[in-house]
Amino acid sequence: MKEIGLHGRGGQGIVMAGEMLANAYFHEGNFAQFMPSYGAERRGSPSNAYIRVNETRIYNRYAVEQPDAVIVFNMSLIDLVKIKDNGVALLNVGGSIEKKDSHARIFAVDANSIALSLKLGTPAIPIINTALLGAFCKVMGDYSFSNLSIAMKERLGRNADINIEAGKIAYDSVREL
Amino acid sequence: MSKNIMLGGNDAVALAAKQSFVDVVSAYPITPQTSIIEKIANYIADGAIDTTFIKVESEHSAMAAAIGASVSGSRVFTATSSQGLLLMHEVLHWASGARLPIVMANANRAVAPPWSIWAESTDSLSQRDTGWIQIYVSNAQEAYDFTIMGFRIAEKVLFPAMICMDGFLLTHTKEPVKIFDDEEIADFIKVKEPRKILDTYKPEAFGALAFPNDYMKIKAAQHNNMVSGIENIKEIMGEFNRLYGRNYSSIDIYGDENAEVSIVTIGTLAETAHLTVDKLNKEGIGCKLVNLHILRPFPKEDLQKALSASKHIVVFDRNISHGKGGIIKDETAGGLGLSNVIGFVCGLGGFDVTDDDMARAVRGVVNGTIKEDSIIGAEL
Repeated sequence: MKEIGLHGRGGQGIVMAGEMLANAYFHEGNFAQFMPSYGAERRGSPSNAYIRVNETRIYNRYAVEQPDAVIVFNMSLIDLVKIKDNGVALLNVGGSIEKKDSHARIFAVDANSIALSLKLGTPAIPIINTALLGAFCKVMGDYSFSNLSIAMKERLGRNADINIEAGKIAYDSVREL
Repeated sequence: MSKNIMLGGNDAVALAAKQSFVDVVSAYPITPQTSIIEKIANYIADGAIDTTFIKVESEHSAMAAAIGASVSGSRVFTATSSQGLLLMHEVLHWASGARLPIVMANANRAVAPPWSIWAESTDSLSQRDTGWIQIYVSNAQEAYDFTIMGFRIAEKVLFPAMICMDGFLLTHTKEPVKIFDDEEIADFIKVKEPRKILDTYKPEAFGALAFPNDYMKIKAAQHNNMVSGIENIKEIMGEFNRLYGRNYSSIDIYGDENAEVSIVTIGTLAETAHLTVDKLNKEGIGCKLVNLHILRPFPKEDLQKALSASKHIVVFDRNISHGKGGIIKDETAGGLGLSNVIGFVCGLGGFDVTDDDMARAVRGVVNGTIKEDSIIGAEL
């Protein structure tokens, strides 16, 4: 079973991204479970969502402690993020960044710039979740971009196309540190 | 044609209500139930269902309006949680005493103070004695199926039915659910039992005074009808199973029926307990899970049969009766007159309970280090 964490701040579309990611894995033929972590969330405070992916039914009804892979929407939260040894992390990073001593495979994509170039959201609050899902698709390689596109269309309706484009640009530009 | 889609527990319940030709919905929002009612309001606004939505100023009024609508013969649905359910308390008795087949979803949520929005079943278990049928579900599929069955069950035995599901762990967790086409489920859900309803041409009084002789008879009949209702409930489940290839009963057993240890629990704890059973069986501790779906009417014979071969019975309760302990433990031990039952209260206020937590507790009971009921998770 694979466990994935999405970490960001309220307003960054964490819950919606988690839902679309779980649906992409579901369309891939997996059993998927999407578990948002609800609390006193509000715009700007830390917000998390978790996904479990398995070939068979998932019985676990408790929080994910240490995911196999994470998507970090906001680098100010990096110290709070837990990950398994040899896990995978996708970071939303604009400038240059160096890899510290870590067993994890670390990837970076500039989701903010991609969102801004497509006028997704505003400069203050760019909509970055769909770009990150596109990059994560490349990083993980275990769900297809076409299944991600289906998940985006189901959730975003007429706004899907521009978000799929953001995901495609991120898919092509994500790099390993 | 049925199909698999990703749904949360609340989405599944709302869809089930939509497909069940509900005439009237009356509800007041409360976390983590609100998205059920929002979804139904959307269905109505989109013209997808011909349902009257009654907006009210409290849960007490929501149930009062549901009672009025049900007396007139309407199929009625509502949903609530925790503090909202407790505010309904008085009118819950009115609904069951008047034998009204209202169906209500309850998102199990801890009761304040201290304030909490997370999973715990103390809210609905504290309404155990209001004369409602109580059904506990463990996953989104069961939430969907039991809401649909709930209408037929309530209308068959003429008692209101409460479908209880853990807040967030079920209500907001999305997973694959096999849903029906409207036409596919219509054969099952369109069946309506004839019942006495309000008729303005033949005026009658409701809720009249009953002197002790009549009151005694009416209340005894209410109890006897509820007790015998378990057979009607199982008939409806059987019909559903036959039509749609399911395998529901009053209790759900996972693992070897003759296992030395039986874990008894309800709700999402039963989901996680599947993993505990697998884990313990691998270690050589023979273990099975008994998931109690129907709490009222109490499925005494079924539970007795399921537990008769067990040396150890271990109950996990995400609820508490202060000064006594876990309520399902009490139901199991007291309800069947058993002395080999050890109860663990756990997961209050949404505190995480893992398959490892449960396995540790069962090992303690089997190896004799744990001899009494206890609370796990509050050690720090």
